[in-house]
Amino acid sequence: MSDQNAVIVENVSKKFRIYHERNQSIKQMVLRRSRGVYEEFWALKDVSLTIPVASSYGLIGENGSGKSTLLKCMAKILVPDEGSVVVNGSISALLELGAGFHPELSGRENVFLNGAILGISSKELNRKFDEIVAFSGIERFIDTPVKNYSSGMYVRLGFSIAINVSPDVLLVDEVLAVGDAEFQMRCADKFTELKGSGCTIVVVSHSMEMVQSLCDSAAWLEHGSLKMSGPADQVIRGYLDHVAHNREATAPAPAAPDPVAPIVPDTAVPAP
Amino acid sequence: MNKVASNTRAKDFAAARSLLINLTLRENRSKYKRSTLGWAWSMVNPLATMLIFTFVFLYVFGVDPPLGSPSGLKNFGFFLISGLLPWNFLSAGLTAATGSVVANAGLIKKVYFTRAVLPAASVLSWNTNLLIELGVLSVALIFVGQFVFVYLPAALVVIVLQMFFVLGIGLCLGALNVYFRDIEHFLQILLLLWFYATPIIYPTSLVFSNPRITGPLKTVYLLNPMVHFSEAYRDIFYNLRSPSPSTFFYMAVSALISMTFGLWVFRKLEAKFAEEL
Ligand SMILES: Nc1ncnc2c1ncn2[C@@H]1O[C@H](COP(=O)(O)OP(=O)(O)OP(=O)(O)O)[C@@H](O)[C@H]1O
Ligand SMILES: [Mg+2]
Repeated sequence: MSDQNAVIVENVSKKFRIYHERNQSIKQMVLRRSRGVYEEFWALKDVSLTIPVASSYGLIGENGSGKSTLLKCMAKILVPDEGSVVVNGSISALLELGAGFHPELSGRENVFLNGAILGISSKELNRKFDEIVAFSGIERFIDTPVKNYSSGMYVRLGFSIAINVSPDVLLVDEVLAVGDAEFQMRCADKFTELKGSGCTIVVVSHSMEMVQSLCDSAAWLEHGSLKMSGPADQVIRGYLDHVAHNREATAPAPAAPDPVAPIVPDTAVPAP
Repeated sequence: MNKVASNTRAKDFAAARSLLINLTLRENRSKYKRSTLGWAWSMVNPLATMLIFTFVFLYVFGVDPPLGSPSGLKNFGFFLISGLLPWNFLSAGLTAATGSVVANAGLIKKVYFTRAVLPAASVLSWNTNLLIELGVLSVALIFVGQFVFVYLPAALVVIVLQMFFVLGIGLCLGALNVYFRDIEHFLQILLLLWFYATPIIYPTSLVFSNPRITGPLKTVYLLNPMVHFSEAYRDIFYNLRSPSPSTFFYMAVSALISMTFGLWVFRKLEAKFAEEL
């Protein structure tokens, strides 16, 4: 059973504390007798889904709907308050705003640090180093501290590490959007290649084109709940219809800018 | 299912071990990276402290250096350094471990790994320092005719026990520092008090020969684990004798309690690091 599913998410709920006033020192805590004023907020509510091995899965939904939170639960960075997440195999994750880099260290040092964190032996890393740098296309800057990288370079290097450590499950949150057109095309090719070799890919994206062209199946989250899941094109259509519908209902004056609409243009779904 | 779980745990452990080695080496390398003297600083700091204290105690206060027995050493510099090196390890190791989790917030929020390697790498890196310094001290002792190498196995046991003692506290403080950022400042005040509560600039006999320090106060004094660690180091590197079995017992119990408590606190808090940072 578990051989066929790479990721199994069962009734996962995750709550956060939204602090209105936070006491981050012992002094304040003793004076005010509390760690702060906060309310609880459920970012994920009873989400269940399964992702088969060697497939690609898209997570879509409006800002704040819990996509990144769900991905972080899969990556074991967040621990769900209820339910369980099982991931079969090694995970490599590229979460929002780039990889876990140490800003003061050079690109080269970060490759080795990240490799060590992902459990790659330094012998293997030495072997793959050139390939990683070549794919990222930032050879000239590999000995510069990453704090001086442009956001695109940051993501290029992070992505290059993430895919070159041959993970069983690759989690990618949004970041590819900051890469240039050429890099995005190279990534798309790489995704196909990885999938062919049995890697499971989960992407979070606001680019419906990307989800459409890349993913077999998708899930749509709304306010932390799973609204719909299934074949990618159906879920995307459902989501876009919903957005278009909402727009008609909430923005009667056409001049008023809609806060949601600009992110997802309600044009026709591109053909698969 | 169970097999998968134990399998991933074994894998996690192997990954954590190699990561720990990696991070420790990185901290070792970066410690004196930008300074011209490099690793020599590791010697300069204790030597400078030793010179200052020797000057103050010998020439300003006119204190007689305690006699090492059976070594016959009567040298305030050697007396002081044998207590100061392990103290510096505790002080620097705890400070580094306390800040280690917060300092690596960027990593914690983006990648999964065994979080405990962060304070552990800080402590191990300062432990490497201690080993080098004790090595230099041992060579210096040979120059004054003291063959300390006989006691190296005992010294290794003491060093490992102190490492676990420091690591336990470091785990606890490193985790708490995520929630209360002023732990680092409290630690500095605590260290100042702790320094004088430990026989570093004075011998333990001074406390016991003092008529104003009576029974219960003595018990409280002896509850400080660093008293026993300091005694053990001084036995080996100044008196040149093996520490007593009861000293070993105290050290082992301190290390055990510290590690148990530290790991327990760390485990309890680590699940929420990513969202609290
Ligand atoms: N560490 C945190 N503490 C408190 N609240 C949080 C934390 N992380 C996320 N949240 C909240 O959880 C909700 C879901 O956030 P999440 O980042 O998962 O959204 P998203 O679907 O990825 O949105 P976007 O499309 O903007 O990336 C948001 O309301 C956010 O404010
Ligand atoms: Mg997000």
